[in-house]
Amino acid sequence: MTGLYIHIPFCKRKCRYCDFVSFPDCGSEDLYFVALVAEMRKYAPLMKDRTFETVFIGGGTPTSMKPGRIAALMAEAKNCFDIAENAEITCEANPESATYDKLSELVSAGVGRLSLGLQSANDAELGAIGRIHSRQDFVDAVSAARRAGFTNLNADVMHGLPGQTGESYIATLRLVTELGLPHISSYSLILEEGTPLFDDVKEGRVQLPDPDDTADMEDAGFEFLAERGYRRYEVSNFAKPGFECRHNLNYWDNGEYLGIGLNSHSALRLKGEWTRFNNTDRLGEYINELGEGKLPVRDTRKIPRDEEMFETIMLGLRKTAGVPRAAFAERFGADPVEHYAPAVSELEMEGWLTVTEDSMYLTRRGMDFQNEALIKFMEQ
Amino acid sequence: MAFPKELIRNFSIIAHIDHGKSTLADRLMQLTQTVAERDMEEQLLDSMDIERERGITIKSTAVRMFYTARDGKEYMLNLIDTPGHVDFTYEVSRALAACEGAVLVVDATQGIEAQTLANVYLALDNDLEIIPVINKIDLVSADPENAIREIEDIIGLPAEDAPQISAKTGLNVESVLERIVSDVPAPKGDAEAPLKALIFDSLYDNYMGALSYVRVMDGSVRQGDRIRFMHSGNEFEVTEVGIFNPRRQPVKELTAGEVGYISASIKSVAETKVGDTITLASDPAKEPLHGYKHANPMVFCGIYPADGADYGALKDALDKLILNDASISYEPETSQALGYGFRCGFLGLLHMEIAEERLEREFDLDLVTTAPSVIYRVVMLDGSVRMIDNPSNLPSPMEIQRMEEPMVNAHIMTPPEFVGSIMELCQEKRGVFIDMTYLEENRVKLAYRMPLNEIIFDFFDGLKSRSRGYASFDYELGEYEQSDLVKLDFLLNGDMCDALSTIVHRDKAYAKGRAVAEKLQEVIPRQQFEIPIQAAIGGKIIARETVRAVRKDVLAKCYGGDITRKKKLLEKQKEGKKRMRQVGTVSVPSDAFMSVLRIN
Repeated sequence: MTGLYIHIPFCKRKCRYCDFVSFPDCGSEDLYFVALVAEMRKYAPLMKDRTFETVFIGGGTPTSMKPGRIAALMAEAKNCFDIAENAEITCEANPESATYDKLSELVSAGVGRLSLGLQSANDAELGAIGRIHSRQDFVDAVSAARRAGFTNLNADVMHGLPGQTGESYIATLRLVTELGLPHISSYSLILEEGTPLFDDVKEGRVQLPDPDDTADMEDAGFEFLAERGYRRYEVSNFAKPGFECRHNLNYWDNGEYLGIGLNSHSALRLKGEWTRFNNTDRLGEYINELGEGKLPVRDTRKIPRDEEMFETIMLGLRKTAGVPRAAFAERFGADPVEHYAPAVSELEMEGWLTVTEDSMYLTRRGMDFQNEALIKFMEQ
Repeated sequence: MAFPKELIRNFSIIAHIDHGKSTLADRLMQLTQTVAERDMEEQLLDSMDIERERGITIKSTAVRMFYTARDGKEYMLNLIDTPGHVDFTYEVSRALAACEGAVLVVDATQGIEAQTLANVYLALDNDLEIIPVINKIDLVSADPENAIREIEDIIGLPAEDAPQISAKTGLNVESVLERIVSDVPAPKGDAEAPLKALIFDSLYDNYMGALSYVRVMDGSVRQGDRIRFMHSGNEFEVTEVGIFNPRRQPVKELTAGEVGYISASIKSVAETKVGDTITLASDPAKEPLHGYKHANPMVFCGIYPADGADYGALKDALDKLILNDASISYEPETSQALGYGFRCGFLGLLHMEIAEERLEREFDLDLVTTAPSVIYRVVMLDGSVRMIDNPSNLPSPMEIQRMEEPMVNAHIMTPPEFVGSIMELCQEKRGVFIDMTYLEENRVKLAYRMPLNEIIFDFFDGLKSRSRGYASFDYELGEYEQSDLVKLDFLLNGDMCDALSTIVHRDKAYAKGRAVAEKLQEVIPRQQFEIPIQAAIGGKIIARETVRAVRKDVLAKCYGGDITRKKKLLEKQKEGKKRMRQVGTVSVPSDAFMSVLRIN
């Protein structure tokens, strides 16, 4: 299957932990919009044989754009690409920009899934990481979303935040579950070099919870979600049955996707070869090159077969369902359990991996030490 | 025909690191047109990379210059550059013995520094004429009056008329040349007497073999002569003699008073030892020049390739390294933790660090080094004696009657105000006070007998910090003395790590054990299980730390389609694992072995 990703890099303010390609819009939104349209038109003939089953508009904060923009983008996407009737179309939004009007616009544009960046329901924790919304903004956004017609809602939350405790993390999860959102992504905070938070921590201005406490937090939180019927289907993703994110599942299945927009990444089988490429991460280059009728593509890599196999394992083992043996065999003509026999048997002995007739998947403990497990596959 | 001896001046330059020795040498070469301007590489004399970077001279070099002085006569000036560290005191003393004078460079902004003093005293011991020079007077912060006062007070040299120069800008440098001509005595020696040439350094050349850098004291030497090394007794035929210009340039003959090199198809520098005397086999001198010492390695450590596959490359590198530095010894050894490597011996700690650095840099190797050790003398119950330079080879205490460690006689020169804190330091290092003498009003000499194993770690650093750099330090090896020594072991998750074992005095064992255990706790990454780190003497645990188990090792977010980053992270983690050493069940990063060496 093929997914379509559209990147909107603009944010009202950049969060202190964020290292994505995003920044406040400094009057470049119109030019960027024109470039996005040009890029989609450029890809249209190349993609004419593909049907897109998911669309994901991410950022940044897509809803920070001017009214009507997302609807226009979706209309353009539908003109350029064959988007399936029942496609899952997701848009990201931050609570402060998720107004009823914006959300209604999304619904009428065909967006059926809304992903809200909550991060925490504790206002002090939100302040510490530079978020500009409050707990109440989130509650209001959820109610606005429901009124606008959304039922398929996700909240992104985080653990391991400065000042966060096990109790406050559970309180965040409680709010989300009590509001009845069917999907939760819960990431542990990763300190990325070059972010303000990284410097704060390095220079001792901010203290993060002890890693053991964060691990306890995570375990307790996942327990809490399981008790409320949210199934962990990927390292950091939880959903009520049937609400798993198809767009992201496609990444973890190592499926095809086309990325549109600044610094977006793509993976496509082109002339039989598994190919990855990405767009420039400089806004000026992106706009100018599309203005000149060129695709702003960088770093095109043809992925050799053994690497493609490893990617499939690396991504597949992120899912609790693991790597489906039949699909792997169909794609590579080899059973993954046999192909990676030494690593597989070592990990099985360790109690990290379970092999069934249909798939191989990491156990709870294997999931906790996923990197170690993957290195075993890599070394082979 | 020989250059008239009365017009030769042999001198060296003594200066503290950064005080401008190399810059002055460059300037002198420029002024005497020894080097064409366009060939002028900054600091031509220090040609080894490490020398340039550390700003210190490790090998001695020499250069011949011609200078027409104000008296209208042309002089031959031989500049012999000397190394500048206590590990190389012997080499310095031989280089100075080849000279009649020394230029003492003092930084006008900083005054006299400790290391300079040690070399000044060596020069005085060798009866050299010392010409003080005040450098860097172009700097705003220059205080030449203070520098002059310090030279007069601390060293006791009249310095009122010392040339005040800027080697950097060239200001007044000519007056240094004039002073060399007027103050440094012409070499004595008899060109007709049997040959006596002092080797002050040696160098390995890929084409010519080992070259001896010599100062001819008496007689002369030319191509075709059969020469004899008086201490080793070996004989060779001279294939070439030459001078330094500053690059090597063959000449017909070297005669009494001159400085140059002798090439005789010698395979290794081990054959041409610093301090030895070269004479003619046909007409030998009666006795060699005095002052020769055989340089024995005093400090030993294990050197291992960080990646076990590089063992062969390490061996080749060591083979090549000793072609140029005969004072390094090495033999194969194995460690449970580190695999195959070599036990290497060095003159001192700096010598060891330089050798490691050269191996890593010039031979592109990644090394793991174990804690330095001295040679212990172990008297067994049956009366037999074993010499132990590797703690892992220490026999069980049950079989040992007593242990002895090498002592040194340490001489510390310091201004009086630091005596108190230096004596404290020596006390901490188990030193036994021998003597204190006032050499001058402003200079005290402290004599201590100290265990060598206490000074190979951080004694020099401690001395410098406690005397604000003013104290200088020299030592010679003394006798072995009985000592209450114990082997301190470290256990990781119950398994002993041989590469971390050290021999220490019982009184120091607890503090050291605790410090190393704490350091290991910092540097060993958390693993999937809890790791107890224990310090032990015999079977007795004296300190314990714990590396907590890691709880999660998983990338939380893998999204937005950018999987390259994730792959790179795994790649990095995999590389990191390769650099880990397995001690029983525990993975220990290679650098952990070295970081425990740096404990205060």
